[in-house]
This record gives sequence, structure tokens and C-alpha cells, in this order.
Amino acid sequence: MKLDARIPAGPIEKKWDKHRFDLKLVNPSNKRRFDIIVVGSGLAGAGAAASLGELGYNVKVFTMHDSPRRAHSIAAQGGINAAKNYPNDGDSVWRLFHDTVKGGDYRAREANVYRLAQVSNGIIDHCVALGVPFAREYGGLLANRSFGGAQLSRTFYARGQTGQQLLLGAYSAMMRQVAAGTVKVFPRREMTELVIKDGRARGIIARDLVTGKLESHAGHAVLLCTGGYANVFYLSTNAATCNVSAAWAAYRKGAGFANPCFTQIHPTCIPRSGDHQSKLTLMSESLRNDGRVWVPRNRGDRRSPGSIPEEERDYFLERRYPAFGNLVPRDIASRAAKTEVDAGKGVGPTGQSVYLDFRDSIARKGEDKIRAEYGNLFDMYHQITDENGYRTPMRIYPAPHYTMGGLWVDYDLMTTVPGLFALGEANFSDHGANRLGASALMQGLADGFFVIPYTLGGYLAGNRLEAAADSDPEFRRAADESGLKFKRLLSVKGKKTPSEFHRRLGEVMWNECGMARNEAALKRALVKIPEIREEFRENLAVGGGAEELNQTLERAGKVADFLDFAELLVRDALERRESCGGHFREESCTPEGEAKRDDAGFSHAAVWEHAGEGKAPLLNKEALTFEHIKPSERSYK
Amino acid sequence: MSEKKFGVTVRVWRQAGPGEKGRMESYEVKGVDPDMSFLEMLDVLNEDLVRRGETPIAFDSDCREGICGCCGLVVNGDVHGPDEHSTVCQLHMRRFKDGDVITVEPWRVKSFPVLKDLVVDRSSLDRIMAAGGYVSVDTGAAPDANSVPVDKDDAEEAMDAAACIGCGACVAACPNGAAMLFTGAKISQLALLPQGGPEKAKRALDMVEAMDAEGFGNCTNEYECEAVCPKEVKVANIARMNREFLLANFLSKR
Amino acid sequence: MDIGFVKRVIFTSIGRKFVMAVTGLALGAFMLVHLAENLLLFYGEKAYNGWVDLLLSNPFIIYAELGLAAVFLLHIVTAVWVRWEDWRNAPAGYEERRWQGGRTIGSATMLYTAAAILAYLVYHLVDFRFADHSMGFYAMVTGAFRDPVFVGVYIAGSLALALHLSHGMQSAFQTLGVNHPKYTPFIKLGGLLVALTMAGFAMISVYFLLELDQKKVEHHYQVAATEAR
Repeated sequence: MKLDARIPAGPIEKKWDKHRFDLKLVNPSNKRRFDIIVVGSGLAGAGAAASLGELGYNVKVFTMHDSPRRAHSIAAQGGINAAKNYPNDGDSVWRLFHDTVKGGDYRAREANVYRLAQVSNGIIDHCVALGVPFAREYGGLLANRSFGGAQLSRTFYARGQTGQQLLLGAYSAMMRQVAAGTVKVFPRREMTELVIKDGRARGIIARDLVTGKLESHAGHAVLLCTGGYANVFYLSTNAATCNVSAAWAAYRKGAGFANPCFTQIHPTCIPRSGDHQSKLTLMSESLRNDGRVWVPRNRGDRRSPGSIPEEERDYFLERRYPAFGNLVPRDIASRAAKTEVDAGKGVGPTGQSVYLDFRDSIARKGEDKIRAEYGNLFDMYHQITDENGYRTPMRIYPAPHYTMGGLWVDYDLMTTVPGLFALGEANFSDHGANRLGASALMQGLADGFFVIPYTLGGYLAGNRLEAAADSDPEFRRAADESGLKFKRLLSVKGKKTPSEFHRRLGEVMWNECGMARNEAALKRALVKIPEIREEFRENLAVGGGAEELNQTLERAGKVADFLDFAELLVRDALERRESCGGHFREESCTPEGEAKRDDAGFSHAAVWEHAGEGKAPLLNKEALTFEHIKPSERSYK
Repeated sequence: MSEKKFGVTVRVWRQAGPGEKGRMESYEVKGVDPDMSFLEMLDVLNEDLVRRGETPIAFDSDCREGICGCCGLVVNGDVHGPDEHSTVCQLHMRRFKDGDVITVEPWRVKSFPVLKDLVVDRSSLDRIMAAGGYVSVDTGAAPDANSVPVDKDDAEEAMDAAACIGCGACVAACPNGAAMLFTGAKISQLALLPQGGPEKAKRALDMVEAMDAEGFGNCTNEYECEAVCPKEVKVANIARMNREFLLANFLSKR
Repeated sequence: MDIGFVKRVIFTSIGRKFVMAVTGLALGAFMLVHLAENLLLFYGEKAYNGWVDLLLSNPFIIYAELGLAAVFLLHIVTAVWVRWEDWRNAPAGYEERRWQGGRTIGSATMLYTAAAILAYLVYHLVDFRFADHSMGFYAMVTGAFRDPVFVGVYIAGSLALALHLSHGMQSAFQTLGVNHPKYTPFIKLGGLLVALTMAGFAMISVYFLLELDQKKVEHHYQVAATEAR
């Protein structure tokens, strides 16, 4: 596999400008002759569809939901970063670039991150123009807040629903193009195969989720905007239908998959209450501004939190990280909680949680202040757990939340398959080994609104694309493959549901490849996953038929891909014998137990190549060079 | 906290496909945990059905935290269930007790045809949005975000309207099957912001026309929509839509 | 000449509701005037008949009556149209359905109170408007008010009207787009007050049914006699 990131030459500040000039242009009257297939309608997908439609391309958008407005971008709470420097606190493109590279623990590509910081301001301008109701000050100008431990106030927000408002903004821009006739939306469709012709991505096979029919859609380029794969852990903060299937289909057709082991675990989630649990709910990490995290000093202490005296409480974040206390970054807070729970000090009915206590803040500021600031979060906590967070400490536990890994892309966001692009969380490019708070929304919209309109044009104008039609044999073959896959799933007629297998896979992934990883556990996972997969093939129960609305079949398809993909994730985690960002290898830490990066050995993106069914995947490496920001150790002591 | 597990009977609308005749069917669900969400209870039932070789109950849901707008059921006659201003995915089983018979139905609205069981087609709402639920501005053309100050109160009110999740509960709850709260919320949001100003007359006329064309009912100002809206979108938005529409009709050049 | 804006009034949901609201408010205003006129009954035959004669001496009164009839008709036609559409589009087939707090008795019964008001209106027109006026209006009206059956119908009509307006008044403002966090509570209260005022019609008829006017006349004469002494 040839990995050419095609980073433009020249100083980093000038790369994007120069590249935009160098890219060939598509003649305006020719644009409507190009069919662009966009899979997914989140921030990246809707943004891309809107901006490409505006340019005059003929865009087809596929979403598995009943409406494009349901994509999981909608659930993002906190905000979106930009280098506007409105608060006059010293922000700049350079500083946002610096913080993102450092926050990613020096495993991202500098040129891409710089471009992200560069276009970040345009996103805010455009979203305001689209009617996104961002928070404002009394003077009528935009409000900013500091988020996720950032030293600056660079986060724009719309209450606790920033993702929703940005998605609805992008969706509205896309619906405008639907009205204009440049974009056509195909709802309730799931991409099942990527179609390659003459070495280029030329279309997809999609399953109509209502009729079950497989449809062929040909185009000149395919954009995967299909989000992340945190549901490989079964329980995550992702929506139920988030999946890896589209990215996995691309991988199996030759797209390199980069850094699958880079997953982010969010520290402040509501812990699970039992086996029936279908998803975990995130609570904004702003809670850590006023809540103190603790566990009982003695293991197995089952007393109610109120009856545990002060001296028998261990405020472990404050103890271990006196400088940052409860505000240490996500990965560190998450791992610390795990350490306590593993030591038998976890609380709650399952013993799988730690306390987040507002007693002292309420005493200091008054309950009214706390209610004004976090009331909706306390309500949400009460609705789910039936507990009153004002009277008794909340219980929290980390949960998988975001995945930094994804399809490898070059500077143009093109994968190793020509004509196949990956945008947003589906690609790997900008967040390295750890994503900063409020940066996911920024990246999704940057890719969709501001990068792909240029780079896609460059690809289309710079290559001679032969005609492709959905009647071509390549499409027939791909449709047959898809049909066969569903037929196989339906024909097992076993005893266990797809969710049972998913739950088991999730347990293995969480226990052996979760917040802290070691060689022995990862090797155990590599034994257990194929076992689950084997049983999946022999004992799966689906029911119903392929040509109807069959949600169990949909789920089975997703679980099948997760079972394959999980192995790649574990393999990548095993291969990366260093701790960095969200990936913590117990073998690679400082004497105090903190993460230790190995820049000499692992300053690269690990890009996995499909070698054929049943064969071990091949590892390729894209070396990462840091010309502008010298790698240093992250310390929050 | 986890009390004793219990059992309920669920009476669910079963319909094989669009346009087919449906009926209510009863199922026993055992081992219900009070901490379970209502949809997780349906998950448990469905897994049981799959294991028994029966067809599971189709229903839409995704984020399960009340923001995506996928889910929507009528539970014991209540749109989105008995909890006030919440989606059905946030309803928990501690609301019920052992031996309860729970009736579960889909949105029964002419403009949301049932696709299967509890799954309905709400694409009519997307078509209303395509008629004008946007600001016509191309990517890259926008001036600096702070070049146009916006009254904070207006921005907050726009945000109240924009909180709509498009679940369709307002239509399902309306005695007339009207989509006024949905349409009004979008027209209102964009009318309140200066960015939406230049095309607000066109937007109001076009979106109302599209809404009518989809076969939604008229508003008789009974405010059931506001009473069930999970995001507490206010009927003041309907009034603003009426105002925008009437002003557009009588005073604009259109 | 583009009549698109007129078409929109007739053929869009909000347009028809606009007509309903405007005519409804006009009718409400008419009812208030009508009530004020009826209150003259308390001031005796001379005052009442004097006002009626003055009204009837106006040669244009017939046009005003026709205009009023047209407003009624518009209100009814648009209402039937709106309700017919609603009936076609209303959610149907819920096995179980509970209202969750928006509906009021007034709003839920608009159709029934409307029918009652219409029936009452016909009765009222036959009995008064197209009746024999030779005995004088005061005598005709008060005579009717001594009939318990008539008063029963009259009371029922006023109650239906009150219930209708309890929803209708504020609804009209909402339809016209008048909704403001500061003023809407007052509009709602005002609507209820107007609705309550409609009970005034019933009170007048009861007053005459119980022959309170006779007692008042007696009292009046007593007072006059005392003063004369």
C-alpha cells in the first residue's frame, strides 16, 4: 500500500492557499455532469452535500435514518472551537493548531491540523449566517466559553445542544439544495458495499431499509461521512445505530484503516444499571468544575455515601493531580476512575462507578447557583437513575465516546482508494491519539463545508474518469455479495440474537482493550473475538426475511462487521507498544503510573491493509514529522 | 435503585407493511427492572421474540437521550408516554408496576403513514423544511460572525424555537393532525434572527403552502402540541408564523 | 391585477383561520353592543323603545343587518371548511388517547357550542326579528322573558356563547399572530371576561322571569311618592 499524504510544499501557513490554487477546477457548466455519492448526513455529510450542491454538482445523500436530521452529530452537547479570539485572550490559528496537535499527543498530521485551525473561523461565520442561534452577550455579539480544560475561551455554543443546532444548520443548507434540485436525499438506506471500477470508487450498493431491496448507485466519487465506531464496545455514548460497516466495506475494498486503537473514553457518563442497558448517557464534563470525584478509602465499603466520614473518603484526582485536580483531561480522569474501581473501591450496586459530589459546592455557592448552572444535567441524572444529585453524590463512570482512528486519508481527504473520500469522524486525520473537547464539530464542518469542495474538484478535474453506470457488472457483483451476506445471516437460524453477540463482544473489548491495555489482555482478546465470531456464524438468530423492514437483520449486519473490525482494533492496540492519548499501554508508563509516549518507536500512523479474507492484515506506516511543534511530555501533576 | 423485578403485559400495534391492516397484540414481559428504560423493555421483548422465532416489533429509536427525534410512541394514550415534556426513550419502567397492561401505538397521523408496526414515515416534515426552512447563503460568502449583533433576548427565543427535534409528537397530539408547531418553530427561529430577515416573507408563504400540501390539519389553538412537546416549544411560535404569513400576504410584494 | 393574496386568504390554512378570527372578533364586538342595548331593558319601556325606534329610523340599518349576516355567514362557512379539513386529517384510530393539558372545555366543545348558538340564533330571529312588532319591542321582549321555556332556551344559548367565547376570543388573537409574553395573559383574561359578560343576557331574562321589574316599579313608585310628600 502506497501512503502518500500529498502534503503541499511550502511554509505551513501557505500550504492550503497554495494547494487551493494548484488544484484544477471543474468548469461550472460541467459540474452538474458529475454525480457525487455522500454516505451519511451528519455534520460532515450534510455540510459536504450542501456545499457541493451549491457548486452545482449532482449529489446523492444516503442516510440510514428516516430523516437526514437524525445523524448522531445531533447529540453533541458542549460546543465548537474556533480561533476567532473574540475574547481577546490570546488565541490565534497558530495556538489552536498547537493545542490540537499537543492535545492529540503528537499523533496527528501537522499540515491537516493547521488547515483545520485555519478554516475554523469560517465555520462560525457560515453557521451564524445559516441562522444557528449561538449564545450571545447582551451587546449582541457571540459568547465564548472555556471548555475541556482549554486555557482560552474559544468555544462557541448553543446551550447544551451545540451539535443539534449545527447539524440543523447544515441540514437546512442541504435541504435548500434539495429544493434547488442539486441534492437528492435517500432516507432509510444503508450502504452495504463500495463499488470499485478500474481501480476507482465509482458507487455503492445500498439497502432500502423499508423494502429490503438492494440498489446500485453509480457516481464519479464516493464520500464516506459515516462517523465513528465506538459501538464496537457495545455500550457507548453513541446512538444505537452508529456502526463501522461502511468504513469496513471500504477497508475490505482496499482503503487503509488508520490507528483503530485510538478511542476516546469520556469520564462523566451515567453508569450502567444492569444487563438490559442499551446505551450510556453522557453528562457534560463541565460538571467537574464544581463536583469533586471520590471513592471510599476502604475497599468494599458499602455504606451510603452520606455516612462515610470525610477522613474515609479518597478524592483521588485531587490527591494524584494536585495542580489540575478534578479538571485533568478526559483520558487521565477516566483511567484514574478505572484504577480505583479495579482496586475494589467502586461504588453503586454494580461497584462500577465513582462518586461525583456537589456537597461542598452547594455549601459554598448555594443550591440555587448549582441549579442554575447544571439544573438540566441534574434533571437528566434524576430521570435516568431516580436519584437526587443535590442530596446524594452522583455516580459516574467512563464510557466510550469518540474514535480518533478511521480511514486513512491524504491531505485531500482521499483514502487509499482513488475517488473514495472520508470526512469527519470517519477519517483519522486531525485528532491524533486524543481529541480535545469541542473539536469534533469543528472537524466535521471543516471537512464538509471548506475542504472537500476544493479537493474533490481537484480530483474530478485532474483525472479522466471513464463512464460508469449502475448496470455495470461491477455493480451486479457487489450487489450479489451484499445479497449473499444477508442471506447467510438469515440462514443460520440459531438461538442467540445479534445483540447478545454484540454485548459479549463489547464485554471483551471493554475488559481487554478498554481504558488500559496490556499485551496479555490484548492477546486474550485476539483469542476470544474469533470464538464469538465463530459462534455468531453458527448460532445466530435473526428471523424475518431480507426483503422487508427487518431491524434485527440490520443489527446482525452491523454486529458481523464489528466482530471483524474488533480484531483489527485489538491488533493495532497490540502493535502500538506505547501509551499515547486515549491508548494506554500498561507496559509503557512512568514509575508513577502515568502514560509514556515512545516517539522513537511510534511516531507514525499505523495504517492497516486488507490482505484478503482469512489473512492477517498488513501494517503500513505513515511517518509523522513535527516541524513546528516539538513533542513534549503531557503532565498535569 | 434496583427494586424487585416485575412483569407487565404490553399491547402493541402490529402492522406488516404500509397500507396493510393492523391489529393490537398482547405480549407478556417478565423480569422488568425498574431502572430499565421503556425502549429497553421493548428490546428485551424483541430479543425474546427473535429467540422464539417470532417477528420482533419494529420501532424507531437511535440516540436514546432525547435529542435525535427518532422515537415516538403513544403509551397508554399519552404521546411520548406519561412523563411531561420528554421523549419516550427517556421514560423508565419505574413508572409502571407489576401486572400493568401497557398500550403502545404509533403516531396515527394521515401525513405519517405507518411503514411497519410502530415505524412511521415522517418525510413530510423534511419536505416542509425543503420549502424554505433555511437561510439562502452559500458556503464561504458569509461576513464575519460578529458583524451583525443580535438582541440576546431574540437569540434566546430563536434558540427556544430551534430546540425542536422534529419527532412529530405535536402532530400526533393535535386533535386536527396539524404541523403548525413544527413549521411555526422554524419560521419563528429564522424570523427572529436578522440573518433570516431578507427572505422571511417568501419563507413564511412557501413553508405554509408546503405544510398545507402535505395534508396536515388546521390549527384550532388547543395547544395540545405545546403540552406534549419534549423540547417545550411554545405556541407563541405558531402566532409568530401566523403573523409572518399574514404580513407577507398583505404587505410584501409577493 | 394579481389576486394571489386573496386566493391565499381563501385557500391556505392560515388564510381561512384569519377570516374566522376577524369575523369572530367582529361578532364578539357585536354581542357586546347587543348586550349594552339589552341592558336598556332595565331602564323601562320608554328608554328601550326609544333606542329601538332611533335605530329603526336609520334608513341604512338594513345594510348593517345584511353586513352582520354576511359576517355570520363567513364565520360559519370558514369554520365548516376548517373543521371539515381537520376531520379529514385528524389522527384516527388511537385505541387509547388522553389529552395532555392543552385542551379546555371551551376549546374541545367549539363545534357543539357553535351548533347550539346557531340553533339558538334561528330561534331568536324567528321569535324577535321576524315576529309581530305591533305591540312594541319592550312588551314583546319582556313578554317573552316571562315564559320559562323561552328563558330556558335563552339561558342555554348564552351559556353556549360564553363557552364558545372562552376559547374563541383568545384563539382569534393567537390566529392573528398576537402573542406576546407581556400581553397574552391579559388577552386571555380579557377573553374570559368577555365570555363571562355573555351571562348578562341570561341575567336579563331571569330578571324579568322572576318579575323583579314589577318590584322595582313598585319600589320606584314608593320612592316617588315619598319624595312627593
